[in-house]
Amino acid sequence: MKLPILTIVMTTIFTGTMLTMISSHWLLIWIGLEINMLSIIPILTKNQKPRSTEAATKYFLTQATASMLLMFTIVFNAMHSGQWTTTNIDPNNMIVSLTMIIALTMKLGMTPFHFWVPEVTQGVSLMTGMLLLTWQKLAPISIMMQMFTSINSIILLLIALMSVLVGGWGGLNQTQLRKILAYSSIAHMGWMMAILTFCPSLTMLNLLIYLMLTIIMFTMLNMNTNTTTLTLSNLWNKSPTITMMILISLLSLGGLPPLTGFLPKWVIIQELTKNNNIAMATVMAIMALLNLYFYMRLIYSTSLTLFPTPNNIKMKWQFQPKKRSLFLSPLIILSTLTLPLSPVFSTLN
Amino acid sequence: MPSISINIILAFTAALLGMLMFRSHMMSSLLCLEGMMLSMFILSTLIILNMQFTMSFIMPILLLVFAACEAAIGLALLVTVSNIYGLDHIQNLNLLQC
Repeated sequence: MKLPILTIVMTTIFTGTMLTMISSHWLLIWIGLEINMLSIIPILTKNQKPRSTEAATKYFLTQATASMLLMFTIVFNAMHSGQWTTTNIDPNNMIVSLTMIIALTMKLGMTPFHFWVPEVTQGVSLMTGMLLLTWQKLAPISIMMQMFTSINSIILLLIALMSVLVGGWGGLNQTQLRKILAYSSIAHMGWMMAILTFCPSLTMLNLLIYLMLTIIMFTMLNMNTNTTTLTLSNLWNKSPTITMMILISLLSLGGLPPLTGFLPKWVIIQELTKNNNIAMATVMAIMALLNLYFYMRLIYSTSLTLFPTPNNIKMKWQFQPKKRSLFLSPLIILSTLTLPLSPVFSTLN
Repeated sequence: MPSISINIILAFTAALLGMLMFRSHMMSSLLCLEGMMLSMFILSTLIILNMQFTMSFIMPILLLVFAACEAAIGLALLVTVSNIYGLDHIQNLNLLQC
């Protein structure tokens, strides 16, 4: 893709998300989502391959259906209440609240509608996958945070619980790194939505840490274009430092205590327990172990086993990777070592 | 609710069910998307005229603009898919399944 076209497309994606975030009129919010969805399609089909075309088609069909459902909710709500502002969704109107949650969770890729996430992420390149799993989540989550007081919380908790379950079970048998990251994204979305109706600032915190970790994982994988467990296992002789950092970031993504990823899980479990929601917190914590299990499997095959390789692969260390990435080391430090900052977040609420 | 609103909501529901269930040709899915969009166009025009939302008279036009954009992107994807696979059956899109 040529540079001017790429600039225009990226600016449009940015504009769409910003329009959704700053507006409080439902029509403008819908237009922002639509601009964002229409302009990500050229990015997805950047390489003219069958895989990326298929990914773009699946993405387009699901997102277009979701935005049509959102439009239906908007018009239906305006018909009943005569209002166009985001805070005026009636939580007692079953049709409105149900279709609203369905549309937004379809946009986010949460559980009853999650099937497109691993497939679309698998079909596109690593950097595009990063854009898909990070930037595209911002607009729907910002809508949800604007209208969290009028969301039907039982349905949302049910969807969140199912997302955590599916995000844990789905990644177990995968060998493709992008699919594993997609399932981890589904599980993290579940954690975010579980806390949304209790304390939206914790959703924000979890979103920030998830964004940091996903960006750092995709950037490090992109430095040597690792897409499978096998190439990750052969990375040790090429760049051992990056291998170690990938492993530590994986542990942080799984939420192991001394790393940053533990922080949102900790405060979310605490907040759920405070709100007498102990069963939900227990199930979510147990399902986080499943997530941790498939990250541990990657770590095991990368660091503790030696795959059969040709002899000359040991000479690959002398070829330095050509791809440089900015802000790699500060992002690694932020995404692994900021757990001591946790007393700051007790002042949030 | 007046009967014309019920009628149009039924049209939307039929198009949505067609989108979700009838999965043979991609062209029919795109037509269902258009059906949903046009029923929303008529419904929003009706409620704006009925309730005298003078500030929102531009809204159905904006809706149509984005319907056209979405249809254009959908047709572009349809052309690409049928270039690659030779036909536009949705069940042929199975390269990426788990």
